[in-house]
Amino acid sequence: MKEETSNNSRRKFLKSVGLTVGAAGVVSGFSLLGAAKAVAQEPGETVNLLTQDGQLVQVDKNQLRPTVSEPLTELQKRGREGIAGKSFVMVIDLSKCRNARKCMDACQNHHQLRPDQHHINVLQMQDAEHTAPYFMPKPCQHCDNPPCTKVCPVDATFKRQDGIVLIDNERCIGCRFCIAACPYSARIFQWTEPKDAEKYKDLTYNIEANVPQKKGTISKCLFSADRLRENKLPSCVSSCPNGVYYFGDQNEDAVTNGTTHETVRFSQLIEENAGYTLLPELGTKPRVYYLPPKNRAFEFNGDLLNEENLH
Amino acid sequence: MKNAIKIIACLFLVFTFTTAVVKAEEWSVPASAKKKQNPYEASTKNISSGKKIYNINCKSCHGDATLGNMLPLQPVAPSDLGSQAFLIQTDGEIYYKVNKGNGAMPTFEKTLSDEDKWMVITYLRSFDQNKKASKKIAEVINPEVNDVRILLDINKEDKRIIANLSGLTKKGDRVALQGIELSIKVKRSFGYLDISGDDAYTNEKGEVNVQFPEDLPGDREGHVDLLVKVTDDAYYGEVNVDRIASLGLPTDPVNPLDERAMWGTRANAPIWIVLSYVGGVISIWGVIFLVLFQLMKLPKLAKTEE
Ligand code: SF4
Ligand code: SF4
Repeated sequence: MKEETSNNSRRKFLKSVGLTVGAAGVVSGFSLLGAAKAVAQEPGETVNLLTQDGQLVQVDKNQLRPTVSEPLTELQKRGREGIAGKSFVMVIDLSKCRNARKCMDACQNHHQLRPDQHHINVLQMQDAEHTAPYFMPKPCQHCDNPPCTKVCPVDATFKRQDGIVLIDNERCIGCRFCIAACPYSARIFQWTEPKDAEKYKDLTYNIEANVPQKKGTISKCLFSADRLRENKLPSCVSSCPNGVYYFGDQNEDAVTNGTTHETVRFSQLIEENAGYTLLPELGTKPRVYYLPPKNRAFEFNGDLLNEENLH
Repeated sequence: MKNAIKIIACLFLVFTFTTAVVKAEEWSVPASAKKKQNPYEASTKNISSGKKIYNINCKSCHGDATLGNMLPLQPVAPSDLGSQAFLIQTDGEIYYKVNKGNGAMPTFEKTLSDEDKWMVITYLRSFDQNKKASKKIAEVINPEVNDVRILLDINKEDKRIIANLSGLTKKGDRVALQGIELSIKVKRSFGYLDISGDDAYTNEKGEVNVQFPEDLPGDREGHVDLLVKVTDDAYYGEVNVDRIASLGLPTDPVNPLDERAMWGTRANAPIWIVLSYVGGVISIWGVIFLVLFQLMKLPKLAKTEE
């Protein structure tokens, strides 16, 4: 009888230690040392937590530590690594773009940008005097041979395994070498305090959305890397009302239209429509493909007479 | 259905922000255009392919036909295209309007083929209660069944997928269902790739036989997630089956960071570069310090000389 009780209490003790350790896995920023200390403490109020293996456990409240510094390093780490096994590509169908500029709005919303700052910009184009004008959205091309990352002296801008080129605000020293190196003018510099700086000031910096933005650093299109992690299409892609954007994984040879949600073969789409990339002669190997502005169902409503609008 | 709601919700958001100029003016159709007749018959096949095209191109604004769940755009909301008030128009009138567009309604002159447009009209006509001639003509009459099921038979050698659709009659016999369209889809990151082709209707054995694309990549082992479903939920509700099959091309994702490149990370730098760089730095600083030490020794030397 006595034997059993002691056995029981031992089991209880083991269990409680086990749970604490389990909970430590869930609550990031919670050290094992802290857990050991907390076990010795008097039990106070308890809260329910879900462990990593799906168990609901009760944890003493004073064992919990607020999460401050850990997530930043965690975000930085996974932001640098990227999503394994993916190779993201974007296809922009110029024949459908009619300058609705919803992509730009969505992007500026997502990345804390003012209306005059662009990660993606819809440009008015005319290739030669007698050719037809058209609209062309231009994000960062996420080059496979990016000139921008080569010149960064502090390794602040980098390419990751899924093909996305990102910037680390925390490292960037604002030298703007990368702006000079990028042949697509894809990068912007935060000359002043960013929009809504006050509102975002307590937010932990998320490298995959480059938010909060920081004065004196660089920003550019990120393919909405934070949304991709949740299997969502980039902001611009899913906000276009005209079905201009396709986005997908080249390893799967499939891209999905953000408007119609139709999924098509990437290789076929490019082949059948004579898809091309911008400035291929530079050897930057862009990840953004364009389908030519053919057979358009609308009139060009831009303002080509105004030199300023022509890019 | 869930997906449809999502799409509608998402497009709703998009369109509420759209500043498309909606002209509330009358939509006049020339008399000659009104006379145009739909050259396609109202077969089940045509109706269901019309429904597919409708769902991709029209549904986002007009909602489901007859349900009246269109977007509440201002000042003119899109019409319910399944309503009798709309279907009172001739085929030619609808065709003309789809082609030309008006205000917020875009033109589909070049974005949809003629055949596609007529298919949509065929589909819409199937809601028309006055036009007896264009009533849904079922080509095959399937017996009333319940417990509808899809059985999958996958042939790995020649990459063929055979889907068999059957249902249980009241008497308890399992019978094949004929003339029903199936969708065979492959899961990708952001959606499903349809590989069913143009003619995925079940034959008299209830079978659809589809060739899996030779060159479609799967994961490392070539596995792909297949989803086979009855295209039109209106027949038997949602009937689907999913399966992981090794039909795809095995693909080994390349990590661009593994290759050495100018922009590569420090981890990829060849050891001799690291060594000669570090060596260079050490020796240059070494020489500088050596000179400095020698200089510091000078005053001492001068003292001892004295
Ligand atoms: S487009 Fe410019 S910023 Fe983007 S990866 Fe290429 S060089 Fe870098
Ligand atoms: S501005 Fe920032 S990201 Fe660009 S090269 Fe300089 S340090 Fe690197």
